[in-house]
Amino acid sequence: MSDVALRGRVAYVFPEPDFDVDQIVGVENCGEQDMNILLRVAMRSFDPEFAAKVRPGDLIVGGRNFGYGHPHYPAMQYMRHLGVGAVVAESFAPGFWQNEINMGFIPLACPDILSAVQRWDEIEIRWSGTIINHTRGIELAYEALSARNRAIIAAGGFIPYLRQKLENRVREF
Amino acid sequence: MGKTLTEKILARAAGLPEVTAGQEIAARPDYVLAYDWPGQTDVIFREIREGFGIERLDGPERFAMFIDHMTSGENPKDLAFHARTRQSCKEYGIEVHEGLGIGHHVASELGYAAPGAFVVHFDGHISQLGAFGALAIGLRRSLIEAFVSPAVTMTVPHTVRVDFTGKLRPGVMARDVFHQLVDTLGPDSCRFQMVEFGGPGLRELSTDDLQTLGGLAMFLGALSAVVDYEEDDARLLQARRRARRDFGAVSSDADASYAAKHTLDLDTVEPLVVAPHTPRNVRRLQECAGLEVHRGYIGSCVSGRIEDIRAAARVLEGRRVKPGFVLNVVPTSAAILQAAEAEGLVAILAAAGANIPRSTCDYCYGRAGTMDAGQRAVSTGTLNVQGRMGHVDSEIYLCSAATIAASAIEGRIADPRKYLEGRP
Repeated sequence: MSDVALRGRVAYVFPEPDFDVDQIVGVENCGEQDMNILLRVAMRSFDPEFAAKVRPGDLIVGGRNFGYGHPHYPAMQYMRHLGVGAVVAESFAPGFWQNEINMGFIPLACPDILSAVQRWDEIEIRWSGTIINHTRGIELAYEALSARNRAIIAAGGFIPYLRQKLENRVREF
Repeated sequence: MGKTLTEKILARAAGLPEVTAGQEIAARPDYVLAYDWPGQTDVIFREIREGFGIERLDGPERFAMFIDHMTSGENPKDLAFHARTRQSCKEYGIEVHEGLGIGHHVASELGYAAPGAFVVHFDGHISQLGAFGALAIGLRRSLIEAFVSPAVTMTVPHTVRVDFTGKLRPGVMARDVFHQLVDTLGPDSCRFQMVEFGGPGLRELSTDDLQTLGGLAMFLGALSAVVDYEEDDARLLQARRRARRDFGAVSSDADASYAAKHTLDLDTVEPLVVAPHTPRNVRRLQECAGLEVHRGYIGSCVSGRIEDIRAAARVLEGRRVKPGFVLNVVPTSAAILQAAEAEGLVAILAAAGANIPRSTCDYCYGRAGTMDAGQRAVSTGTLNVQGRMGHVDSEIYLCSAATIAASAIEGRIADPRKYLEGRP
């Protein structure tokens, strides 16, 4: 497997500590399953043009204890639908973090991320443990994922991982 | 180096002589619990049958399903959903418990909260079984692993120790203690770690109190909570008598290694209120006193036990809920409702003008007692995120049952202590 996990831009920065991700879609839509509705309502209060600006491979950045509260799935389903491949935050609320890994998404904890990036910076994430900001020439370490969590992400989520595991074909790297 | 209670329980569940925090293990759950909920139980049954081709569970007697959400209406869709789950449970030999109350609590009444047991659920509030000496973890969507594998894979968590000293003062309850911990230690103070409660102050806290503290552990960032009782603690002995299986008493070694240690003097805790819209928004009651409120909810898996109902009755006896204010007191289980009736508490609350519906989870998340725009509630529900109990333009202030009862009298957030003067 290539060392490059993701290369893209910082599509948005949510610096607020203990950020409640339901705000991304609006609390009134936190149980919404219809992607057409989510595409219309999400990010309205942050950047109404977000969906038009974001490109596959981009990532979002968060502050301390990102995903605290009672996170629902639609916010990140919306992000994934637009091709957002990762969320890098200073730290994560555990429930949110494990949930997103289980969806095959990449949540990386990187304590210095907020001071090292600005919106639209070009970022590369390497499996070997670093985040490189090509725009600013900064390299940061992120907190390593366990072999199990890397395998879940590589499998595309927890259920495919479990199927591979039971068939003894998990790819660990 | 000694071991924490969590390391000891997980070592037994993993079939290893010992495990250490940070180690990746496969641990066999003694009990696999769930409540019937769309996106969880329906997905599990569909996946295990169609995706994994599982026809029989390994040790089906370890599994239990609770029907406690979506139980307050006669909605045909909900009834059909529960009917499908009952059928799946029947096919897989899973015991179904319903009509008994909120599963996280009923689990203790039915003996799943065995001291020393390793219990898994998808929902994190199962952490309250720590009050009975068990280790119970909410795995979210990873719970399915327990249905398709003999063991679940996990990393042994580190532990943050909180020692209690002193004793709660009148009018102060376990909710206040928990909110104090969030305020003092921080909402991410125990991230990915266990919180372990211990110390001489444990003697002054009841099992009800410890269920409240344990059940809310996720708002400290904790994976779960355990209580480090002395091995001869009467509560531990009682829990062992009620347990489905005896795993023996387990406590942490004196020289166990902790990620952090904190002490809280219970005497210093005052009534607190958590303002909208996040569980970290802790305020002194005085800062919010006088704020107009329209609803009161005493209930949920973390509060609504007999001591919460007693506290409300103590405040409300011989008094009236302010006209226009709606007070719902929803006992956490049917057994608690019976106990409240036997003690005369239901009569006191009914005379004061409270509603006392049968036990359900539905008031906690707005499926029952739905709030309207512009309304403000005082609540012992699990959390106060925006729209949790109904309209997104409603607000929830979390506080103790005693504070809710006092606020119900005034229709404003009120200090319960003035209503307790001269009362036992």
